[in-house]
Amino acid sequence: MALENPLLPHIATITKVIDETPDVKTFQMVFDDPGVFDVFKQKPGQVAQISIFGVGEATISITSSPTRKGMLEFSIKKVGRLTSVIHQMEPGMKVGIRGPYGNHFPYEMMKGKDLLFIGGGIGLAPLRSLIDFVLAPENRQDYGKVEILYGARSSADLCFKYDLFDNWPRQPDTKVYVTIDRPEEGWDGHVGFVPAYLEELNPNPQNKVTITCGPPIMIKFVLQALEKMGYSEDQVVTTLELKMKCGIGKCGRCNIGSKFVCVDGPVFTLRELKKLPPEF
Amino acid sequence: MLKEKIKSTVTELLENKRIDFVIGYGAGSDAGTVRPAFVKSVEEVEQLIWSPFAVNNLAKFVMDHLYENIKIGVIVKGCDSRSVIRLVQDKVFPRENFYVIGVPCKGILDKNKVAKDFDLSGDLVDFTEQGDEVILKTSKGEFKLRKEDYLLDKCYRCETPTPVVYDVLLGEEVAPFRTDDYEDVKAIENLSVEEKSRYWDKQFEKCIRCYACRNVCSACNCRDCVFDMAEPNWVGKAANLSENTAFHLIRAWHVAGRCVDCGECSRVCPMGIPVNTLNRKMIKDMKELFAVETPGKNPEQGPVLGTFRTDDPEEFM
Amino acid sequence: MRKGYILKESFKTWLGAIKEKFPLIAPVQDDGLTLFKEVEKVDDIVLDYGITRMPPKDLFFPQTEKMFRIKNKNNVAIELESPEKVTDELVLFGVHSCDLKSILALDPVFTTRFPDRYYQERRDKTYVIGLSCTKALPTCFCTAYGINPTDADGADVHLTELGDKYLVEVVTERGEKLAAAIPGIIFEDTTNLEAEKAKLTEKVKGEIKFIDLTGVKEVLDENFELPLWEKWAQKCLGCGICTYVCPTCHCFDINDFNRGDGVGERFRCWDSCMFSDFTRMAGGHNPRPTKKERVRNRFMHKLKYHLDRYNIVGCVGCGRCVQRCPENIDIRAIISDIKGGV
Repeated sequence: MALENPLLPHIATITKVIDETPDVKTFQMVFDDPGVFDVFKQKPGQVAQISIFGVGEATISITSSPTRKGMLEFSIKKVGRLTSVIHQMEPGMKVGIRGPYGNHFPYEMMKGKDLLFIGGGIGLAPLRSLIDFVLAPENRQDYGKVEILYGARSSADLCFKYDLFDNWPRQPDTKVYVTIDRPEEGWDGHVGFVPAYLEELNPNPQNKVTITCGPPIMIKFVLQALEKMGYSEDQVVTTLELKMKCGIGKCGRCNIGSKFVCVDGPVFTLRELKKLPPEF
Repeated sequence: MLKEKIKSTVTELLENKRIDFVIGYGAGSDAGTVRPAFVKSVEEVEQLIWSPFAVNNLAKFVMDHLYENIKIGVIVKGCDSRSVIRLVQDKVFPRENFYVIGVPCKGILDKNKVAKDFDLSGDLVDFTEQGDEVILKTSKGEFKLRKEDYLLDKCYRCETPTPVVYDVLLGEEVAPFRTDDYEDVKAIENLSVEEKSRYWDKQFEKCIRCYACRNVCSACNCRDCVFDMAEPNWVGKAANLSENTAFHLIRAWHVAGRCVDCGECSRVCPMGIPVNTLNRKMIKDMKELFAVETPGKNPEQGPVLGTFRTDDPEEFM
Repeated sequence: MRKGYILKESFKTWLGAIKEKFPLIAPVQDDGLTLFKEVEKVDDIVLDYGITRMPPKDLFFPQTEKMFRIKNKNNVAIELESPEKVTDELVLFGVHSCDLKSILALDPVFTTRFPDRYYQERRDKTYVIGLSCTKALPTCFCTAYGINPTDADGADVHLTELGDKYLVEVVTERGEKLAAAIPGIIFEDTTNLEAEKAKLTEKVKGEIKFIDLTGVKEVLDENFELPLWEKWAQKCLGCGICTYVCPTCHCFDINDFNRGDGVGERFRCWDSCMFSDFTRMAGGHNPRPTKKERVRNRFMHKLKYHLDRYNIVGCVGCGRCVQRCPENIDIRAIISDIKGGV
């Protein structure tokens, strides 16, 4: 009998494509063999390798919560070769998925705590898997107040507008703060960069965990701001994005020091992050 | 002694701040090997050596300093000096950012040939040259050898023993005393088509796609190399005869008319592929077709395939 | 472990019998290079080689490996065809102790946590016959890592040439199958042979310049930034030689080959952390943007990261990178710089 092959993708069909921004689309996918869902079992914060057969693979975070059964969602920004091709794909077309890979957000450790999500641009995609997990009725009582601080370059670049302005604000004990980088006609919301808005809001660190993801420069200043506000290194959780190929700790590409982001990450607390060499 | 001349020249250049640093030769792991030395201060000048095994062409290292307001001293032999011309002509590195320290050269020893007859595993303590003889003083013993028997192949056909360009020349000019007969190229030209195909298939099959030939090449100076591009993916990353052949032929054509025949591609190849012979075939053909000199030999002569003249015969049009 | 000896005069008969049963891969001369290749005649095997140009990792982790065939009809109908079988059983003969150790160093990468089917199957189906060194090269430094040039660790059967005999050490259960290729050809008596092997070990060890690694890991544990990285990186060409000739480097890339009509394949091929695009992301961000970071990563991998991760050496002192680096970047000199606080 042939050994199991972790590098062989499962075939999946795109069931829905949502235009999020001019360069981000969300793809809903369903495995052609429904039995795969029973073994796939992702946790919030994990990633998968998406294949376009004949083109290649790319590492994409799973943006849907595991509480939403029978489908997976991936929000993909058009940045390179593979992502440009996938942006042309339509419902009914087939891709490959293998995974789930990596560790996950420490949702057990977060139980009983208030949560502050801080996202920028496409960085909201991995956070969304945890946000929807926490807000799911079966989990909501395990967590305290949920606050979401999110920013993008412009209002057009805001991902998940249906969540930001509709779904999430309607949830109990949940608050959403949205900002855009520059003033814009017709925008009466907050204007400014995420780290500045964060300092303005000055959220109290007591019994709180923050989960942040965004462009490297945003993360850098957010981490500085959080430390200044008195958050301990264990209260700050982030998720990293590095170039990956195999996803299973073998191809050697995503190492930061002795760690492989694909199996030891992508989620790190600030305490863990500070122990790593600054190569991310 | 050349080593002392190098040191005093570099010391003076550094003291007078005429250069930011110098790329020269330092001692390598054994008597037959040298290692590039980057000397930035007078205190570091002691690292500099000269060795009868100083084969490495150091000119391309300036490419790590593109667009910097900098003056780099580079120690070059005759063959290496053509690489300076290459980088200048290709507008990769401006002439005024070079300080070319020329070394007239009567030939470099081939460590692989020497190591067959002598133990080079020690350190090179000193060497002396008397006429045609070299005495290598190493920590494993003293060896006397006839230089003519142990030169690098390229040295037997060297037409520019004196650098073609320099800011300072450390020693007397050496008049050209050899001619290039392209015997190596002719040997392959004389094969039948099938034999040639077999020969090159065998060579390209060995290629491990380490890109050392490209990375050492002064004519491979593109900012973004076609072989690193995923889109368009002209040459796949798979190491197989088909992709390897594409890699070598594209590279040969890409440097055609610009390859200065320094021979470094063949030297660095870990699999013993005579990469340079491909390029030399191009040079030989171009010499025959266009009556040009080896690229880089004549600073006035631009890359022959990149030169347009209104009086070109256009016979093929 | 069962030990015995085989007479030199019957040694090739024994190898011949093995070759009857399995493809035999062994060091042979090929266009001026000593390489592990499938042997046509047992007489072609080079028994007294120093080191093969390329390491044996290719047998388990080929430079280019087809993973599966793809039939893609306009992204609407997809068929993937995985190979039924990655390889047949084969025998890899003549592996020196450093290379044997390197296979053990690769094993945990590929066979633990998400076992790699391709590697695992090749590994399972390959019988490894080790061969003690009888002489050392100036670039050898296996002893730095506690490897003896006659160690059998990693072999199924290990041979040591001693006068008119080979000492045969049957190390594993699987090795028994090879030892039994010709019943009775291996004599159980090892009188004097083990003492002779010990003598040979000392002789070859004496030829190797000992590199003392004491304190090196500790310095690297404590210091990510050291001036020596910039010093060595400026000499580096950024080619992939050191990583490709390295028996323990395991980085790879995964790509699709596409014929244009939807038929193609997915393959993986060696990649190198020395290449500038190795970690460059689609958006342009590169966590290791210059040669300094890349050179540091490679030597940290050899001297620290692999040890941290798998508790086994990431370098076996084979000396191939020392031999082949065009600019003579010598890991032994780097070790000495680390110890010297450079």
